[in-house]
Amino acid sequence: MKATRAPSHEDRRVWLVIGGIALISLLLIPLSQALFGLRFTYTVRVVALGGAILGFISGALGCFAVLRGESLLGDALSHAALPGVAIAFLLAGRELSALLIGAGIASWLSLRFVAALLATTRIKRDTALGIVLASFFAAGIALLAYIQSIPDASQAGLDHFIFGQAAAIIESDVRLASGAGLVVLCMLALFWKEFKLVTFDAEFAGANGFRTGLINTLLSTLIVVTIVLGLQLAGVILMVGMLIAPGIAARQWTNKLEQMVILAAVFGAFTGGAGAVISALDSDIPTGPMIIVVAFILVLLSLALAPGRGILWRQLRMRANRRVFAALNTRRDLYRYALAHGAADSPVPDDFIRGVGDRSAELGLRQLQAESQATLGEAGWQLSESGIELARRDRRNQRLWALYRRYAHELSLPSVTEDREAEIASLLPADAVAKLEAKLAERADA
Amino acid sequence: MMPLERLLIEFLLNFVARDELNAFLRSPQNTATLIGGLIAISGALLGSFLLLRGMSLASDAISHTVLLGIVVAFLLMTRVFGLEGDTSSPWLIAGASLAGVGTVLLTELLYRSGLVRQDAALGLAFPLLFAIAVILVSRFVDDVHLDEDAVLVGEIGLAWANTNSHCFENCESVTVDEDHPAARMTRLCVNCRELGISPRDESAEFVEVCGNCGDYSPARAWSAGLLELEPALVFFPKSIAATLVMTLLTLAFVLLFYKELKLTTFDGALAQALGFRPAVMNYCLMALVSLVAVGAFDAVGSILVIAFFIIPPAAAYLLTDRLALMLLLSPLVGAAGAFFGYDLARGQVFGILPVADGIGLINRAFGLALVEAWDSSISASMVLMIFMLFLLAWVFSPRYGLISTALRRVNSRRRFADQVVLAHIRNHQGSPQAASELRIATLHVHFRWTPRRMGRVLARLRALGLIRIVNGGAVLTERGEARAQAFRRTMLGANNLPDVS
Repeated sequence: MKATRAPSHEDRRVWLVIGGIALISLLLIPLSQALFGLRFTYTVRVVALGGAILGFISGALGCFAVLRGESLLGDALSHAALPGVAIAFLLAGRELSALLIGAGIASWLSLRFVAALLATTRIKRDTALGIVLASFFAAGIALLAYIQSIPDASQAGLDHFIFGQAAAIIESDVRLASGAGLVVLCMLALFWKEFKLVTFDAEFAGANGFRTGLINTLLSTLIVVTIVLGLQLAGVILMVGMLIAPGIAARQWTNKLEQMVILAAVFGAFTGGAGAVISALDSDIPTGPMIIVVAFILVLLSLALAPGRGILWRQLRMRANRRVFAALNTRRDLYRYALAHGAADSPVPDDFIRGVGDRSAELGLRQLQAESQATLGEAGWQLSESGIELARRDRRNQRLWALYRRYAHELSLPSVTEDREAEIASLLPADAVAKLEAKLAERADA
Repeated sequence: MMPLERLLIEFLLNFVARDELNAFLRSPQNTATLIGGLIAISGALLGSFLLLRGMSLASDAISHTVLLGIVVAFLLMTRVFGLEGDTSSPWLIAGASLAGVGTVLLTELLYRSGLVRQDAALGLAFPLLFAIAVILVSRFVDDVHLDEDAVLVGEIGLAWANTNSHCFENCESVTVDEDHPAARMTRLCVNCRELGISPRDESAEFVEVCGNCGDYSPARAWSAGLLELEPALVFFPKSIAATLVMTLLTLAFVLLFYKELKLTTFDGALAQALGFRPAVMNYCLMALVSLVAVGAFDAVGSILVIAFFIIPPAAAYLLTDRLALMLLLSPLVGAAGAFFGYDLARGQVFGILPVADGIGLINRAFGLALVEAWDSSISASMVLMIFMLFLLAWVFSPRYGLISTALRRVNSRRRFADQVVLAHIRNHQGSPQAASELRIATLHVHFRWTPRRMGRVLARLRALGLIRIVNGGAVLTERGEARAQAFRRTMLGANNLPDVS
């Protein structure tokens, strides 16, 4: 079914955004070289690549956290990874894969802990998350302090997990992350239908025989893996931003899950890469926080600019609407006053019409003047011929609607939602309108 | 803070001798416990209301921004106004508290735009504000009081060393100038470095410099040996007064506005209708939370502080249904956690179980070689102890604990089994099928139970004297009859049923 549908406006928009991002990333390289004298050394390339790959994965998985209303779960899970890192270090030493496995286990345990708290007590979700976040993090800090008190442990770099340390990423880390990430993405593709179903309608999924508990656990586990992979880059405190920010940004551009996930992955890759490159400009700018700042800028841009939902477009639309309605109301006022004082084109004193309305009268008059429906003469405002015509049609329309409300049942007219600002002929069939017009003529005679 | 501290000390000196007070305050443990306890009390009081309002994570948001507020205010103070950077300055506290309230407004704004869910708005806002703060810290601040480590865990263990001295008797300030007998004059070569010559060189020129000139406060004058009479000094850790003020403010707020807080928490609409302004109450609460978060920043850092807001009220919430009791219990839990936390950091759980033994046990069990001496972060240990108390409450709470819930479930299952068996017997007693329906050996078949389960239930019923066994069949005793009747009446709504017997 999907294959036969012609690509809509929205589809094209997403590809345009992706293309724009790609263009900006391509521009960023020569730009940073030319303006800031950044040299893309081997280290910078590795870090940027690592950032992009990790950003890609967390962006894709983060969409599900955002859509399921579990953004803060991501926060708790990432904080909870810290004691795992510390314990893994105590047991296995500074081996990255061991540290990540430890982090994953701790954060998975915290997930079960939250579930147990919710199932057996009356504590609410946000409190449970707060408890887990604070206590696991404290355990991690206490263990790190213990490790630091050990005289000759090579603990250097462990606290990188707190704030993230992209500069410490080396080629084998990137390889590990891409391998694990590929597995995560494959799982995502494999269980796409199931994940989509439990995300949007878990009850429906359950009723259709999907094992929602299992699917939820699998999805949460994938999110845990994603968080753990991203820890090196963003650190436990900021990881949640890297997880959800691309998803929130992508959500503004599209209503389709497929597109949202792809877009979020691209956003994530861009933030990861760009944050790494920017922080390479100055050794005092930490990478993790920089990535979060870049991600938030993307979110802000999306919130403001995304077509349809964006704040900017919404404001513009509201202003346009306000202008249209102000013009409509002012024209009605002018027309009514003019009719009451002679003919439809008799002038209306300026102070009178301004005094009637508030600021909207001002707005309406300006709009009418711009559309040359009314002119300001010596004696006041005067409706032009087109203005009179429109006002007359509007009044007639209003009357027909009033009649519709009154006689719809008697004349057995079809039932529609009344919308007085809309042309009645556009909502009612012609014969129904004809009946109403006959009624109008009949009442005019009487 | 200084005059306030003085008042406080004068008050305390009515009860304890000066030396004892000094000795008490000189102990890192006492000071840390005191500060931790005070933070825990104010945090728990405010956190109780946050929890009941479903806003626990607002404290998370606020604690993250407070860092940004502190960093920005710190930079403004040091860079723009050229003041001394002191993280307990009132300006800094005021600025950071404002920032805290600002975050709540920001997340609300983000959420009200209708484009982002509430949790996403929070999850977006705090990492961002925290990230900006971290960037500012690592880019612009070189102060020890504001490095990343302090942000994480605070410096509660060092609080005892950072004191104001207060003098009560023999308070003689001394000004040492060059003519003072105690002045130590040293000769300093002024052109040695310039000319690259040694001070022994003939062309070296010297000036006399006073090495210890300056104004001496009584405390410094005494320790430098400039005074004959020992001044009566009290060294008071700076953080105590700040946290004490914070706690008293919180207490006063909760006591004064108890009625308003209770009403707006449980029934905002009614409060609004009665003219209590829930929104104003809400912002007051948030302002106080920010204030406490700022005040606690020095001691426990900016992340661990949320534990003091969230965990003790959650533990109290498991223990009681009454607000007043909850407000009593949660500070207790918090303060107890702070008290035992110091011991944990130094390697003792509840002051009796050495952590080192535990590590040794792990070492032996898994063949590891971990260092057994446990010396860890104090603030993190306090949080861990609070968490441990929460776990205890979770397991042992008389009403909502794991154990009591499990017991209750077992009990009600048992009671239900008893009752259905009694009802079954009563139904079939005296009927033609009684022989087949009530035979002990086959009774379990009618319930689709295992024979063992039926055996247990029957044994219990017999022990309670509710049934008798007659000729291999079950018969109700009088008491059993009465029990079965009662069951019918209560559970089945016997009034609506035709009486079968």
